[in-house]
Amino acid sequence: MSAWLHLFTLELAVVAIALLVLLWDAFAPAAGRAVGWTTALLLGGVFAASFFVDGRGTVPHGVFVRDEWVVFHERLFLAAGILGVLGSIDWLATRTPKRQAEYYALLLFSLAGMMLLAGARDWILLVTCFELMSMPLYVLCAYGKQDGPASEPKLAAEAGLKLFITGAASSGLTLFGLALVVGMTGTTHVGGIGANPAPLTIVGMLFVLAGFGFKVGAVPFHMWVPDTYQGAPTPFVAFLSVAPKAAGLATLAIVLLGGWSADSSVWLPVLLVLAGASMVVGNLFALPQTDARRLLGFSGVAQIGYALLALGAMSRGGLAMTLFFVATYVFTNLGVFFVLHAAAEEGGGHSLARIAGLSRRSPWLGGALLVFLLSLAGIPFVAGFWAKLFVFMEAWNAGLVGLVVLGVALAVIGLYYYLTVARSTYMADGDRTTPVPTGFALRAAILVCLIFVVGLGLWPRPLVEAADRAAAGIVSGR
Amino acid sequence: MVESYLPVLILFVMVVAFAFANMALSELGGRKRKNVGKGEPYECGMEPEGNARLRLSIHFYLVAVLFILFDVESVFLVLWAVGARSFAETGVGVFVFAEIAAFVGLLALALAYVWRKGGLEWDR
Amino acid sequence: MTVPSSHLLILAAILFSIGVAGFFLRRNVIVVLMCIELMLNAANLSFLAASRMHSLDTPGGRIDLQGPIFAIFVIVVAAVEAAVGLALVIALYRRKQTVSLDDVVDLKD
Repeated sequence: MSAWLHLFTLELAVVAIALLVLLWDAFAPAAGRAVGWTTALLLGGVFAASFFVDGRGTVPHGVFVRDEWVVFHERLFLAAGILGVLGSIDWLATRTPKRQAEYYALLLFSLAGMMLLAGARDWILLVTCFELMSMPLYVLCAYGKQDGPASEPKLAAEAGLKLFITGAASSGLTLFGLALVVGMTGTTHVGGIGANPAPLTIVGMLFVLAGFGFKVGAVPFHMWVPDTYQGAPTPFVAFLSVAPKAAGLATLAIVLLGGWSADSSVWLPVLLVLAGASMVVGNLFALPQTDARRLLGFSGVAQIGYALLALGAMSRGGLAMTLFFVATYVFTNLGVFFVLHAAAEEGGGHSLARIAGLSRRSPWLGGALLVFLLSLAGIPFVAGFWAKLFVFMEAWNAGLVGLVVLGVALAVIGLYYYLTVARSTYMADGDRTTPVPTGFALRAAILVCLIFVVGLGLWPRPLVEAADRAAAGIVSGR
Repeated sequence: MVESYLPVLILFVMVVAFAFANMALSELGGRKRKNVGKGEPYECGMEPEGNARLRLSIHFYLVAVLFILFDVESVFLVLWAVGARSFAETGVGVFVFAEIAAFVGLLALALAYVWRKGGLEWDR
Repeated sequence: MTVPSSHLLILAAILFSIGVAGFFLRRNVIVVLMCIELMLNAANLSFLAASRMHSLDTPGGRIDLQGPIFAIFVIVVAAVEAAVGLALVIALYRRKQTVSLDDVVDLKD
């Protein structure tokens, strides 16, 4: 009967770890970093197991499909989850020592939602997983720091509320759209839309698209991004800025390329407008920012624009390069936020002036930040370069010449503000001279990000091939 | 078209009539006594008068939220209970029972967590 | 004589529009949360109306269950959203002594 339960081994393991952590904390509270390290190590075990537990198959009625696409995403989300936990250990242990386990448990529940999302092929499962992913994020966003400066908890609560209100409204939009789609087509299967859908189905799908647009933070649904990034706790923002975005893009790919490819003339213009607007608004609004996290928020909007552009190529290659782009973005953006967190944690906030002279005080951190920023900007021989190059190549091949030219022009603007940040860490003088104190876990997380960004820059081939195999699960053919 | 809403109209009229009929009947047939307690909207329970902006304990909220969350559990239990016989007849009874048991078990763990964390303690 | 399913769909659309309008116009966080619940319930009503339409159209009395099942999951989503949303509002109120969106403006350029 349950011949398919083994398909969910990794997801069940993640949920089991979350429950273990919660109950451990409730019945035998442990102080210090024990909970965090245990979570990280167990998650590492799950990540390692993903190379051995290799079940492929389909749940009856095609509700869930576990193929290369899901395997790729599971590993990506697990990697982001491990790094997210590692980056939070020191912060939680010093700032909220009494309330650590909930943080890890919520992060793991969100992670389980993302992992299931990649394989969902039924609207009910898809929506439930999406909410399982989103709900813990709202709570984590407002995670209080009680001993910090008085403004911190206020800002965190505001950031959480803003994320929640936009997220909940977009859920409402998605669900109402789905009511129309499911009502018109009479099936809950994602691929059930078929060619020549009824007008009401198209309206419903546009609602669904708008709802997912909110979640990935594409323009014009991006208002929450900079506010949330600025207000929420930084180690969490690092996770928020990568994993849910990757999950949202995966959902868009499943829905558009997998389920609704027959009517691309309806949604492709919408997608391309979202991509173009995200690139323009993200890059231009990032320019005048003085808060590092707001700058990265708008830069994140711009990066989503590039990813949507590759999705708009509507080919297996384009989808593969979306995955490659997102994977490099995961490691790069996690790295940037972790370095900023390390610099801000000694006091003084996240203004750009705060990291002036960083590389003189801590050459190691400064160098890592430089590499991450170069990767975001797309300078050769770090991971981000290949990501941008491949995205533009695939979009060009698909005939999206105008948007590629726009994207390249805006990438130059991006280069300007990324390098301005990098320059101030090298050229400017800060008001402090002692090295930045960083905990061991945070350093480990930054080091792993650095290894991936440099490694993928020098040798992108394995990831490109893995992404291509994964994309074949959604788009067959070339 | 419009006549299909006739049952709704009849229901509406009956609801209003029932309310007024009860008031009229108690006015006609009930005993009348005058004292302080009779003058109040509720004869027992909370004092209904005073400033509406009084502070309520945060525990009202906590209990309400916990109630909502565990209340939704019953929605799934009812679904399973309604279908249990036909599940058994089609040979998936044990499997579906295991599923619902796992679901209830998870919520039991959640309840244990809430209990242990002090979420159910009224005066704290 | 039964109420046509299209009327239910129109009612759902009106409810959803009221929810969206309230979401954008009202400044009290609690009312905004109520508007979101209204949107979700409009979705529920559409699910049920569409499923009723399919059931009535199908000869032989086969009942379309996808709508009701989906609606149950929407109820779950709504319940969790209410719990998380109210918790966030309380966190905000304890820290800022306000539930008005006009006062939640600390995060900006």
